[in-house]
Amino acid sequence: MTDKNPLSPHIQIYNWHVSSLVSISHRITSVINILILTLLCFLVWTLILGNQNYQIVYNFFNSFFGKFFIISFVWSYSFQILSEVRHWFWDLGYGFELKTSKITGVLVIIGSLVITIILYSIRGILV
Amino acid sequence: MVQINLPKNSEIKKGHYYKDKTGSKNIRKVNVYRWDPSIGGNPRIDTYEVDMDNCPSKVLDVLNKIKNEIDPSLAYRRSCAHGVCGSCAMNMNGKNGLACTKSHSEIKGEINIYPLPHLKVLKDLIGDLSILYKQYQSVEPWLKTSKKSDDTEHHQSRDDRSKLDGLYECIMCACCSTACPSYWWNGDKFLGPAVLLQAYRWIIDSRDEDRKERLKKVADELKLYRCHTIMNCTNACPKGLNPAKAIASIKKMLATS
Repeated sequence: MTDKNPLSPHIQIYNWHVSSLVSISHRITSVINILILTLLCFLVWTLILGNQNYQIVYNFFNSFFGKFFIISFVWSYSFQILSEVRHWFWDLGYGFELKTSKITGVLVIIGSLVITIILYSIRGILV
Repeated sequence: MVQINLPKNSEIKKGHYYKDKTGSKNIRKVNVYRWDPSIGGNPRIDTYEVDMDNCPSKVLDVLNKIKNEIDPSLAYRRSCAHGVCGSCAMNMNGKNGLACTKSHSEIKGEINIYPLPHLKVLKDLIGDLSILYKQYQSVEPWLKTSKKSDDTEHHQSRDDRSKLDGLYECIMCACCSTACPSYWWNGDKFLGPAVLLQAYRWIIDSRDEDRKERLKKVADELKLYRCHTIMNCTNACPKGLNPAKAIASIKKMLATS
């Protein structure tokens, strides 16, 4: 085979379906979670350095971006957990039928949104 | 390696447009991937107007009609036309399948036909599957037994035989492997769903005495564990088999043995 032969198109033409979407989102959210957890550690660290930093952290979480940050973190974390549960069942050998995997995939997406809404609406009780 | 974009020489250009000459009122546009090694250059998409009033029901019939009546230079593999040989595997409107079992009425709008994804193209819709065949050979897909029995069969209970259901039907059309993103990015090392399903077919065969060796051979970070259960394979299989489940069964056997 020479370099002259073209490579047939792949991701450019292939259809997405629920399972492949959940799979790539699982990867993306795991990277996001690592980044956000690192950032959270950094925020806690600034608090340790002195109480004058508290105002900065407080302002950040009450800004529009801060709220967006929290909501997306809650979503990506709940998505990750639900998707991981789906993977556990797969590891045990269940849920491989096309229909089942489609339903569980949709459940992961809807479930993560529901958890996000619930956690955000009861945040006053938690904190 | 993950490479989202196509290489420069593989970018697809607009090709020829073949207008309908029959004067039919039931016309469908069929876009077909074309590349000829004797011309070289970049691949192109040719568009054919096909008279659907005089065309049988499958996508392969559409291709045959184009080749017979419009453009004889079109190249594609086909043989049995009954979903048994696996020759006419290709990508039709974003999903891999056999052209001979896929009805064109299932496709809405224009019909887009590409070769199987992420393969070196030999000509038009024919992709190079030699790497896949080498990988198939590497799992030694034949019965290994110490019993010498030239005149009698190797016996198997009904239960043991039923374990091969959903595996032996595989026709090695490569729809699953070429639908798998992990196989796109690591096709040289990852065995891919088709070959792993075949590997499992021999691992689970009660007559085979080489199970341990076979398991040991596929237990590899790249060969087996590049499968991340994306499920594109099971979604694509034109025979309704479940390669994702077969791969998971190998993983489970390795984890529990």
